[in-house]
Amino acid sequence: MIETVLFYILAAALIGFGLMVITRTNPIASAMAMVGAFAGLAGLYAMLNARFLSIIQILVYAGGIMVLVIFVIMLLNLEPEDLQRMRAKGFVVLLALIGVGAAIVSPMLFCVIPNKDWANGSVSPEFGSMASVGAKMFADHLFPFEILSLVLLTAVVGALVLAKRKL
Amino acid sequence: MNSIPLVHFLYLAAMLFGVGVFGVLARKNAISVLMGIELMLNAVNINFLAFARYWNWNSLTGPVFVVFVITIAAAEAAVALAIIISIYRHLRTANVDDAHYLRG
Amino acid sequence: MLEQYGYVLVFLLAGIFFILMAFITGWVFSPNGLLGLRYKYKKEILEDTYECGVETQGTSWFRFNISFYLYALLFVIFDIETVFLYPWAVSFKKLGVFGFVEMVVFIAILLVGFAYAWKKEALKWE
Repeated sequence: MIETVLFYILAAALIGFGLMVITRTNPIASAMAMVGAFAGLAGLYAMLNARFLSIIQILVYAGGIMVLVIFVIMLLNLEPEDLQRMRAKGFVVLLALIGVGAAIVSPMLFCVIPNKDWANGSVSPEFGSMASVGAKMFADHLFPFEILSLVLLTAVVGALVLAKRKL
Repeated sequence: MNSIPLVHFLYLAAMLFGVGVFGVLARKNAISVLMGIELMLNAVNINFLAFARYWNWNSLTGPVFVVFVITIAAAEAAVALAIIISIYRHLRTANVDDAHYLRG
Repeated sequence: MLEQYGYVLVFLLAGIFFILMAFITGWVFSPNGLLGLRYKYKKEILEDTYECGVETQGTSWFRFNISFYLYALLFVIFDIETVFLYPWAVSFKKLGVFGFVEMVVFIAILLVGFAYAWKKEALKWE
């Protein structure tokens, strides 16, 4: 019961913060709403028994990526007046997208998924813990993990080349 | 124990994804567009975790994949922000409509 | 399962309490606050932004140095590295020598990026 209430509170907060992200004209306000959305997401991940990931969400997204975004907003010094309101055409495109998406997705949501036998109650206490995720990652997904280091290396070098005034 | 049906998580993820798509399409400021993309990535993460939790929680591939997605998102944000800084230096604007040198 | 998150709730409430107390304390001792204190200072000084005792200069809307971005970039990259180091360290014994070699390769590749940033003087304050 309390879980259900918590889920709806977190979901409402998440969607509310998400709407704030895309409707605020001040980019700093958008970024702050984004931090709130990440907090809501971390709570949802914890509800899905993914404890490790809910910590990662706060640590990397709210602590790392949003700091980067806020520094760039400060760097460009975009004052709120510089930003225009969103385009009306966007609404039309959005409605069209939602229509097509709902047409594709809803048969699956209404027919296929409720009829499958979902493992609803029992979940092992190991699920989503740091040790189990680590064991899975370093045993079965070794190659993607090593490739990620190359991706990060490329990101560092590329961002430095683009952003640094004189190399 | 977990009384919330899977479909509710899927609806939530779909709504968040829609909000993100709307942000990408409607905003003119490049940084807000980037934040819309981050929202979309997070919506996908909810789906991964919900299916991992409800469907096949022995395999743990879902959480591992979410860790990878978060890593890629960090790299993507770093490079995208560097591009925005570079555009701002040349054009004095962060408006995605004004950066149309490659439009042809 | 939910009971385990009681600790998180306690920490959350404690954090909110700290922030609230900072605001409430400022409000209590401010000229128009709860105590209604009268300070013998000029109006400009009383209405000035208080930061740390030093007089403030200019507004907070000014251009940041590009070095902030470069530092934050390196921070994010090595933040991601710790994300992988935590689960690796927890299951270190189970992974054995092979796991150790994996992580050494991972860190070595990331250190190449760090060395590049260092060589190009990204860490030098301009």
